Amino acid sequence: MRLQRVAAIGPWTVVATRVLSVAAALLVGGSVFAFAGYDVPTLAASVVQSSLGSLFGLEDLGLLFSPLILTGLAAAVALRIGLWNIGGEGQFYAGAIAATLAGLNMHGPASLMLPLLALAGFAGGAAWVLVPALARAFLLIDEIITTLLLNFVAVLLVNYLCTGPLRDPAQAVTSASARIPYEISPLLDDLHWGLGVSVALVAIMAGLSAFTRWGFETRLAGANRHAAHYAGIPVRRRLMQVLLLSGGLAGVAGMLEVVGTVHRLQGGISNNYGYLGVMVAVLAGGVPWAVLPAALLMAVILNAGTVLQAYGVSNYEVLALTGLVLLFTAVGERLAYYRPARRPVRAA
Amino acid sequence: MPGAAVELQGITKAFPGLLANDAIDLDLRAGEIHALLGENGAGKSTLMNVLTGIYQPDAGRIVMNGAPVRFASPKDAIAAGIGMVHQHFKLIRAFTVAENIHLGWPDTPFRTSAALLESRTRALSERFGLLVRPDARVEDLSAGEQQRVEILRVLARGARVLILDEPTAVLTPGEAAALVRALRGFVVSGYAVILISHKLDEVLEVADRVTVLRAGRKVATLRAAECSQAQLAALMVGREIGGRRRGGAGPRRVGPIVLQLAGASADDERGVRALADVDLSVHAGEIVGVAGVAGNGQRELTEVLTGLRPVTEGQVRIGGRVMFGADPAAFLAAGVGHIPEDRLRSGLAPSMAVADNAVLREYRRPPVARGALFRPGAALALARRIAADAHVMVPNMRAPVRNLSGGNQQRLVARREMRVSAQALVAAYPTRGLDIGAIDTMLRYLAEMRDRGVGVLLVSEELDELLGIADRVAVLFGGRIMGVFPAGEAEPERIGLLMGGRAEAA
Repeated sequence: MRLQRVAAIGPWTVVATRVLSVAAALLVGGSVFAFAGYDVPTLAASVVQSSLGSLFGLEDLGLLFSPLILTGLAAAVALRIGLWNIGGEGQFYAGAIAATLAGLNMHGPASLMLPLLALAGFAGGAAWVLVPALARAFLLIDEIITTLLLNFVAVLLVNYLCTGPLRDPAQAVTSASARIPYEISPLLDDLHWGLGVSVALVAIMAGLSAFTRWGFETRLAGANRHAAHYAGIPVRRRLMQVLLLSGGLAGVAGMLEVVGTVHRLQGGISNNYGYLGVMVAVLAGGVPWAVLPAALLMAVILNAGTVLQAYGVSNYEVLALTGLVLLFTAVGERLAYYRPARRPVRAA
Repeated sequence: MPGAAVELQGITKAFPGLLANDAIDLDLRAGEIHALLGENGAGKSTLMNVLTGIYQPDAGRIVMNGAPVRFASPKDAIAAGIGMVHQHFKLIRAFTVAENIHLGWPDTPFRTSAALLESRTRALSERFGLLVRPDARVEDLSAGEQQRVEILRVLARGARVLILDEPTAVLTPGEAAALVRALRGFVVSGYAVILISHKLDEVLEVADRVTVLRAGRKVATLRAAECSQAQLAALMVGREIGGRRRGGAGPRRVGPIVLQLAGASADDERGVRALADVDLSVHAGEIVGVAGVAGNGQRELTEVLTGLRPVTEGQVRIGGRVMFGADPAAFLAAGVGHIPEDRLRSGLAPSMAVADNAVLREYRRPPVARGALFRPGAALALARRIAADAHVMVPNMRAPVRNLSGGNQQRLVARREMRVSAQALVAAYPTRGLDIGAIDTMLRYLAEMRDRGVGVLLVSEELDELLGIADRVAVLFGGRIMGVFPAGEAEPERIGLLMGGRAEAA
C-alpha cells in the first residue's frame, strides 16, 4: 500500500488516532502476556470486573484518577506554552510537604484550614519550580533538565523529613509524619472530594485557555514566541506564570493526596504520579479538557496493576504497558498525517 | 520536431474548498525550456506536485511516450525520469556534496567509502558539465553551488525532465547566467526543462514556450518569441497593472510628523552597532522609502520603529511623544502597524489557526476582548472580515495559517496591520517573494494608507518600486542614512552609488 502525507487533520481524526493507538498498545501488551503463558481474556475480565464492576473497584480507580488528573493538567498547562515540565513528581512532593507542615502546625476549623492547606500545597509546588522557571525565562536554560533533576532532591527531602524532624514518635516501624488532623469529606467511603476539586480545576484551566486573553497569549507564546513578542505580549512573564501555575497544580495534587488519602507525609506517596502526568498530558495533546479521558485511561492501567499482582504479574510489567501506550500514541500522532494514496482516476 | 516528452491531460485537483487545478493540459517537448507562469496560488505548485507524484490528480492523466503513466509516489516519478529542484534546497547541510548526491539512491554501492563516493560524484559532475566540489560540505557552499548539487542529484537519478522552481531567486546575476547556460546545454542534448518563475524578463529570455496559469486554469500556451512582458503580465493577473501611484504632479499636502528617529543608534543580536545616529522622520500622508542593500541596518531600523528593539542612543517619537524602551504593546497602542520582514518567523504563528493569527493585534480590545475575556466567536467574525478585505479565500478559519499560500499570508498580515496603523505603518519588504499581481495589490494598500493620512515607511530592495510609489527616498548604508531625496528628483544612478556606500560627490 502506498501512503501520502496530508497537510492538516481534523479534531475527530486526532481522537480516533488516540483511541486506535491505545487499543494497539493494549493488543501488543496483551499478546506479550499471552506468550508469557497468562490467560489474557481471564486477566482482562478480572481487571474490568474489579476496577469498573464494583463500588470498591471504582473507589480505588477514583483515588488514582484524581492525582493523575492534576499532575496531567500541570504538564498539559506547561505544554500549551511549549514547555516540558517533567518535574511534576518533585512539585507533588513539595506541595505535600508544604501542606503537611501547615496542617501539623496551624490550627483552625476544617472549613478554613482545608482551603489554606490547598493554598499551601499550591505554593509549595510553585516554589519548587521557581528556580527552573527563572532559569528558563531569563537564561534560556532548558526546563526539561532542571525540573527533572529537582525531582530527586524532593524525594530525598521527603525521606529526610519523615525519618528526621517530622517523624511520628508514636510509630516505631514506618518512617512517616504524624497524622494530619484535617480530613477532606468523603465522596464515597474512601474516595474524597479531591476528585471533585481536580475536575473543577480542569474546567477552570480549559476555560482560562480558551476564553481569556491570558489563555490566548500563552497559546500564542507557545506557538511562536517571536510572534508573541511582536504582538506585544510579555513573553517572559507569561512563561514564568505558566510554569508557576503548572508547579502549583502538581503541588495541589500532593496536598490532596497527603491530606485526603494518606493522611501522613511519607516516602513513595507520589506513586509516580508526577511522571505519569507527563504521559497523561502527551496523551491529551496538551489540551486541558482531554486530560480527563487520558488520566482515566492511566488510572485504569495503574489499577489493573494492583489487580494483576494477584495473578503474579509484577508492577513493572504494568508500568511497561504505560510505556507502550505512550510509544504507540507518539507514533500514531505522526501516522495520522498519512493516508493510503488514492488511485488516480483512469481517463476514459 | 521532437515529440512530447510528457503530456498532462485534463489534470484536476481539488482541496477542501479550493479547486487548485481545473482540467489543465500541458505538453512538454524534449529539447525545450518551458516556463510555467502564474500568480501565487494560481496552481503552479499543485500541478508540479501532481507531475512529480506528490499528489494524485482527481481527474486527468499523465502521458509519457504515448502511454499513460501513474505516479503513486515521488519514487515512481523519479523512476520515470521526472526530477524536481525545489526552491528551498533539500540537502543535508552537514554532509559533503558526494554524500548528498548518493543519499537515498539505489545505485549507491553497498560497500562504500568517501573516496569512492567522491570519484563517482566527480564522474557525474564531468558527464553533466556541472562543476561541483565532491568533498566540500554543503553548508560551506554558496547558493549557486548548492543548486548545482541539487540539479546533479536529480540528473544522476536519470531524470530526462527537469523541473526548477524559481531557480534564479537565490542566485547572483553571474550564477544565474551560468545556470541558464547549463539549462541550454541540457535541452540541446534532448532533455526537457520546466521553469517556474515570476520574473517576466527572465522567462522571455530563457524559455522557448510559456504556459500561463490563473486561478487554477490554464490561460494560454505561447511561444516566447512571439509575446511581450505586458501581454504575459495581463494574462497572469487578468487585468491591467497600474503604473506609478504617486499622487498628482504638484506638491503633496502632508501633515505633521508621525514617526521620528532623532540621533538614534541600535545594536544587532551580537551587540554590534547596526544603526548609527539616524535622523529620519515620516509625516502623516506620505510614503518614505528606504533604499539600500539588505543587511545595512534595515531590520534594526524597522524594529526600533515598532518597539521590538531598544535604541542605545537617541530617541524614537511617535506623534511627538517620546517612546521609552522596547515595548511593542506601547507602539501598537500608539497606532504603529508593522509588516515584518520575515512573516513566518515573527508576523504569524504558523501552527495556529488562521482566525487566531488574524486577531493577533486586536485581541486586547473589544469586540474580541471583553475585559479579561477572549471571545472566540468575535475573533472568528473579525478574522472573516480581515480575510475578506485581503481577498483571501480561507476554506477553514480553524486550519493552521501555514496551509495558506505565501501571497495569501502576506495579504492577511498587511490587512491586519493596516487596521491598527492609526498613525504610521512600517512595511519591511512587503512585496518580497510575491508575483506582480500581488505586488500591485500590496503597493495599492500602501497608497491607500497614505491617502488616509497615515505615515508609511517602506523598506525595499526594489529601487523601481520605491521610486514609483514613495514621496521621499532615504538611502541606508552601513547603518547610516546617506541622504534623503524627494522621489521626483532622485536619480537611480545616484541612489545606486549611495547604496554602495559612495558618499555624495559634489
